[in-house]
Amino acid sequence: MKKKVVKNKKQNRQKFDNATVAYRLKCAKTGNGLSHFVMYGDAPKDQSPV
Amino acid sequence: MKQGLDIFNITDTRRRAITDADNLFWAILPKGSDESSKLSRDVLRVYDKFKDSLDKNMHDFRFSKKLSAVYINPTDKCNASCPYCYVPPAIRKNGRSMNKEELEFILNKIYKHTKSASKKMVIVFHASEPLLVKDVVFSAINKFKNKFLFGLQTNALLLTKKDVDFLIKHRVGVGISLDSQNSKINNRLRSGNFNQVNKALKWFNGYAGLNVITTVTKYNVRGLEKLVRFLHKKKVSCILLNPVRLTQKYSRKLKPDQELLAREFLKAVDTAIDLTINSKRPIIIANFANIILGIVSPFARRLMCDISPCGGGRCFFTITARGEMIPCGEFIGIRDSSGGNIFRDSITKAIESKPFKSVRGRFVEKIEECDICTFRNICGSPCPAELHAMDRFNKKAVFCEFYKKIIQHAFKLIAQGKEKHALRKDILGNLKYEYQL
Repeated sequence: MKKKVVKNKKQNRQKFDNATVAYRLKCAKTGNGLSHFVMYGDAPKDQSPV
Repeated sequence: MKQGLDIFNITDTRRRAITDADNLFWAILPKGSDESSKLSRDVLRVYDKFKDSLDKNMHDFRFSKKLSAVYINPTDKCNASCPYCYVPPAIRKNGRSMNKEELEFILNKIYKHTKSASKKMVIVFHASEPLLVKDVVFSAINKFKNKFLFGLQTNALLLTKKDVDFLIKHRVGVGISLDSQNSKINNRLRSGNFNQVNKALKWFNGYAGLNVITTVTKYNVRGLEKLVRFLHKKKVSCILLNPVRLTQKYSRKLKPDQELLAREFLKAVDTAIDLTINSKRPIIIANFANIILGIVSPFARRLMCDISPCGGGRCFFTITARGEMIPCGEFIGIRDSSGGNIFRDSITKAIESKPFKSVRGRFVEKIEECDICTFRNICGSPCPAELHAMDRFNKKAVFCEFYKKIIQHAFKLIAQGKEKHALRKDILGNLKYEYQL
C-alpha cells in the first residue's frame, strides 16, 4: 500500500513537471479588470465574522 | 531596454518560465522544452493572439489617472513613537488636528470631484493616529457613509469595544498595527500596544474587513512565521508584512538583511498557505497575494506600491492635517512635495502639479537594471518617496533582491498549482479566464 502512495506521488510530480501552465484572469465585473486599490474600504457585506 | 519574450528557470523546480515583461504574458514549461517543441509553439500561438490587447491594457492600467482612494490624516499627532515612522517626530509632536467642519469641507470637495466615478471612492484615515480625533472621524463616517467607503489605520491604543461595534456596523476596513507575537519585541517597536491589540482582535472576532499591518525590521524579521500562526488563531484573515520604508534616516538602521527577509517572509507565506489548506479559516499575506495577482491577473492588483509608476499622485493621494495634498503619505516629511492645499486649491490642480507629475514620471523603463529586468512590472521598483529621501529617485528599489526572490517563489507556487491558496476568496470569485492554455 505504501509503495502505491509513493508511486502516485511520483506520478503527480511527473505530471506537474511536464505540464504547461499559461493563463490570464480578468475581473468579471469590470471587463478590463481595473479594480480599485484596497486593503481598506472593501469589507465584504456578507462575510462578517468569518 | 529589453523587450519581447524572455526565459528563465524557476528556482527549486524542474520548470522554466517564458514571460513578456512589458505586458506580463507568461507561460510555465517543462525545463527540457526548447523553442521548436510543440509546447513552445502552442504558447507562442496564444502570445501572438493576445499580445496587442495585453500591451494596450497594461499601458492603460499603468498610466491612467483614475483616482480610487484618498488618504486623510485628520491629525498630525501620534500617541506612539515607532522608531521607523515616516512622519517626522516634530510633526507628530507639534502638528495640528482637523476639526469637524474642516473634515466635512474636505469630504464634500472630494465627493464633488469624484461623484461621476463608477465606483465609490475609498477614504482612508491614516497616520499619524486618527483615533486621537475619534469624534471628528466617526462623525464624518456617519455623515458620509452613503457617499464613500471608509478605511482606518490605527495602533489600537485608543480603541474601545464601542468603537469596534461602530466600525463593524459601518463596514469600515480597519488596519491594526502589530509587529510581533512576542510582546516584548512588539512593545519595543510599537509603543506598547500589544495588550490593546489583543483586546481589539477579540472584539473584532474575525471581522472580514480587518487586516493587520506589520512593519518588518531587523528586530522582528525572524518571527514572521510565528506571527502568522498567532494571528490565525485570533481569526485574522489578512496580514501585510511590509519591509520597513527607509524614508527617514533613523529608519535605515532597522533595515533587515534582504536574504534573511526573503527567507523569513516566504516561510510566513508557506505557513499561511498550509493553514489555509488545512484549516477552515483562510489567512493570506496581502502583499504576497498582490505579487501573485501581478502575474496571473495584473489589472486586479489591489496595492498600488508595486505597479510602475506607483499609484501615488495617480490613483490616490494624501491630505495632511494642514490640508496639504501630497502624492502619498510617505512624502509627508519631504520638502516641496505639496501639490496644493485642499482648503484653497482644486484637486485637479494638485493632480497636475509638479510634485505629483514627478512621482508619475518615475517608471521602470527609465531605471537602470529595471529596464532589463523580467520582473520589472511585477515589483514596480518601489518606493519613490523612499528613494527620493535617499537621493536615488531614479534608481532601483531598495529591496530589489527581496522582490526577485519572492517573485520566483510566486512562479514556483503557480507551477505547483498552489497560487489560489495565497489569494482572498472574494478576489478569486470576481475573476474569470481571459485565456488558458
